[in-house]
Amino acid sequence: MSTEFVPEELRRAVEHDLRPVRPLPPAWQRTLVVAAVMAVGFAVSLAAFKLTLRPDMDQLPMWLSWGCSVLQLLVGVMLVSMALRESIPGSGVPAGAVKVAVVTAVLMQIVVGIATWMYSPGMPWGEGAIAKSVGCVTQDSTMALPTLFVTLWLVFRALPVRAPVAGLLGGAGAAVTADAITHLLCPMSDLRHVLVWHTGAMLGFMLIGWVAGVLWERRQIRRF
Amino acid sequence: MVVDRQAEEERLIAFMIGYQKGNMDDFGGLYAALKQPLLRYLWTFVRNATVAEDLLQETFLQIHRARQTYTPPRPVRPWIYAITRHVALMHLRSGRRRKEVLPSEELPEVPVPPEMEKLADSATLHRMLSDLPRPAQEVLMLHHLLGLSFEEVGHILGVAAGTAKVRSHRALKALRAQLAEQGGVS
Repeated sequence: MSTEFVPEELRRAVEHDLRPVRPLPPAWQRTLVVAAVMAVGFAVSLAAFKLTLRPDMDQLPMWLSWGCSVLQLLVGVMLVSMALRESIPGSGVPAGAVKVAVVTAVLMQIVVGIATWMYSPGMPWGEGAIAKSVGCVTQDSTMALPTLFVTLWLVFRALPVRAPVAGLLGGAGAAVTADAITHLLCPMSDLRHVLVWHTGAMLGFMLIGWVAGVLWERRQIRRF
Repeated sequence: MVVDRQAEEERLIAFMIGYQKGNMDDFGGLYAALKQPLLRYLWTFVRNATVAEDLLQETFLQIHRARQTYTPPRPVRPWIYAITRHVALMHLRSGRRRKEVLPSEELPEVPVPPEMEKLADSATLHRMLSDLPRPAQEVLMLHHLLGLSFEEVGHILGVAAGTAKVRSHRALKALRAQLAEQGGVS
């Protein structure tokens, strides 16, 4: 096949950088990379903050403590996988599925928080609660940010045609997986703490992902 | 027809594999095979042949920059049309739209499949299509004129295959109504 039909300028641009490339691995393989970084991030946070299991762990039924954490981890990994899928043109996730996944992630965190509070009020909300809450958000961030950065890096080095959506999914995935671990560690079940600080942190990570997508897209638009 | 489409898809996959390995001739093959349908698709966004030509170059540059995101042996066309759509939407959002009006004879030619030919002749059909809102136009263009499956259309538009089917059904209904209004086909 000849290249005579290719316009000269385009032909030169392509020929200038025609090195062989290896196709990106499928989304599930890239998800494994993120999962590995996620595990390292969790381990570092646990060691750095000297975190231990919540003191009222034995008052919580198994399904609510470990069961919900495992479920949240799975949902988080699925969200990361959706973000990575979204980064490949022509294999995007249907808009309806994106909405369902993100709403499920947020609702799940809220429902687990309320259920946990109903079984055990945990550490009372009182003096020092704000400082404790700030500490919780710091831990959440330390656990979620490595996952978020790696996910966004993998997303933006491909070609997300709906970058804000991919960023939102990545942010939600990072937030849910971090919350799955925090659920096992945080001693406070008070809803003022859970729904304001933990849910707030989750929404914050989703917002970071979304904004990163918007900025990436703006950079693309500037090319025109 | 089905065999033709399958053979065509296999040919495109072979071009992409060669192109990813650094073969310029395969890039040329890909360009020659997709130039006309991509121009036609771009036209639904910009309605201007000159801009569509410019965007075609930009689309192939984007394809070149993102060539590692194609994984063989997945179908090539949904991947390429998704990139094309991305380029067109970025162009529209950039606000740099040209004002020239395109005479209809300059529209890039795309063969009309038999089921669409039943409705009207090719020229009328293309003109009618231009009058529809863009989402309707896009789904009709991708499925009925360019021959992509609803699943592929869904992947390109970021919606479920069922949603693409419903959009296409509504668009076809609107097209038929327009034709009936003009005394064409009931």
